[in-house]
Amino acid sequence: MSLEIEGLSWGHALPGGGWRQLFDGFNLHCPGGQFVVLIGSNGSGKSTLLNLIAGSIPAATGSVRLEGRELLRLQAHRRARSIGRVMQNPLDGTAPGLTIAENLRLAECRRRSLLQPQALLGLHPGRGDRRRYAALLEELGLPLADRLETPVGQLSGGQRQTISLVMVCLGAPRLLLLDEHTAALDPRAEDSVMRLTQQLVQRLGTTTLMVTHSLEQALGYGDRLLMLQDGALIGDWSAAERQQFTPAALQALYGSATVPEEHISRS
Amino acid sequence: MLSIWIGAIDQGLAYAGLALGVYLTLRVLNFADITVDGSFALGGGSAALLLTQQVAPPLALLVAAGLGALAGLVTGLIHTRLGVNDLFAGILTTTGLYSITLRLMGRSNIPLTNVPLGLGSDGQWLIALLLAMGGLIVLLALLLRTDLGLALRAIGNNPVMARANGISTRRGLCLGIAAGNALVALAGALVALYQGFADVTMGIGSLILGLGAVIVGESVLRPRSVTWALLAVVVGSVLFRAMIALALQLGMDPVDLKLATALLLLAALGLGRLRLPGLSAPGGER
Repeated sequence: MSLEIEGLSWGHALPGGGWRQLFDGFNLHCPGGQFVVLIGSNGSGKSTLLNLIAGSIPAATGSVRLEGRELLRLQAHRRARSIGRVMQNPLDGTAPGLTIAENLRLAECRRRSLLQPQALLGLHPGRGDRRRYAALLEELGLPLADRLETPVGQLSGGQRQTISLVMVCLGAPRLLLLDEHTAALDPRAEDSVMRLTQQLVQRLGTTTLMVTHSLEQALGYGDRLLMLQDGALIGDWSAAERQQFTPAALQALYGSATVPEEHISRS
Repeated sequence: MLSIWIGAIDQGLAYAGLALGVYLTLRVLNFADITVDGSFALGGGSAALLLTQQVAPPLALLVAAGLGALAGLVTGLIHTRLGVNDLFAGILTTTGLYSITLRLMGRSNIPLTNVPLGLGSDGQWLIALLLAMGGLIVLLALLLRTDLGLALRAIGNNPVMARANGISTRRGLCLGIAAGNALVALAGALVALYQGFADVTMGIGSLILGLGAVIVGESVLRPRSVTWALLAVVVGSVLFRAMIALALQLGMDPVDLKLATALLLLAALGLGRLRLPGLSAPGGER
């Protein structure tokens, strides 16, 4: 399920007047199943890139194709049927007033429209749904199986992010977008969410783009590491090439205007 | 004496559709919808017109509800397609609806005193209304527990999450606002039937009345599930009417009724905010 971005261009007006062209003919090709980690300083365009792919920022030109299907012409909620996304703020990914089971049910139905007469047939989540969710949570080693009737608003940030991840994967996405999804968590929660991320990405085999500021994550996860600056790729390393870096060496490149030529290899 | 209280229950049940409609838009969809002021009068006016034309009451009620749904759909489209904010979209529709309702009625007031409704005594009214509202609660409770209902609740709870799960928030809002206004127009028709006339101004303050019923019901019953919340809203509507009946009985001038209603609502809102121990339940976000 390959992701192909070609000639992507997008800019925005600056508050004091003027225009900033962030992406200008941006290209990226990710073969199906690749786990790509994206790093870069603030304002480099990492989150914007994910927003453009997911459609939460419209009006980009160029082409973003998932399995050959053009995404840019689709509304955000339609793209969401094939894209799973976990955002930085644990409050964004779940509905706080709905129970864990209800949130999971929504995620499970992501592929079809729920605003149609067929969605009136049957009461959900029912007993069968709950049994399935409990089994899934247990299989993933998550101690939430007995809390399916708890409103998600009563969970901790780490638990909410865990539920967001499980939801994303229940919808069987073709592309997974992770936008600094552990940034708001304490180290212990971060660790457990990252372990779950790794587990789910392997299990689904979905093409994954993960944005992070954590150099440990950048060096420890994924098949490929990309560095973005001012809307352009300034580094592209395979998992093997990545071995050359220590966190300090990566830190030194981070935010520098140019990356020495010997560090750049384009695949 | 007793008839005043039975009257309050009758009226409360007639107004319950308004409370359910406001609950659906405000609590479920998180959309402050002023269209209800217009659709309440539209429901009352259209039903009164049809009844004077010898149309059967159930059909008249159905048509009223259908027109209310259309009014809600217009607000939904103004909000979701043109990006007009929720309050302003509702005000626009309500302002336009005043002329439409007046044109439809042909005059500002239609009396129903000479129209036979087949409901003789107060007791029959009560039973008919209890059955109708009970049916509505069951229907809505079931609806909100289907996948479609779940999607509507998700839109009100977290629209970002709803979109990220493939739900069209635009379509959901239009659907929900239309359904809410259908209920409100139905209430307008029932109130016109009950009071024996429809007036083009009968909708003024409807949103506040509906909201009052929702808040009173929620404060008294503290519902924890959607089904109980729907029941609480109907109970709230009856209690709210009873409070008004009590105030009138204690000698309040009917001219001051709207002011008293607003103050009562303010008090209920204040109590809800203060979260008095014993009166308020601890719990998660709602």
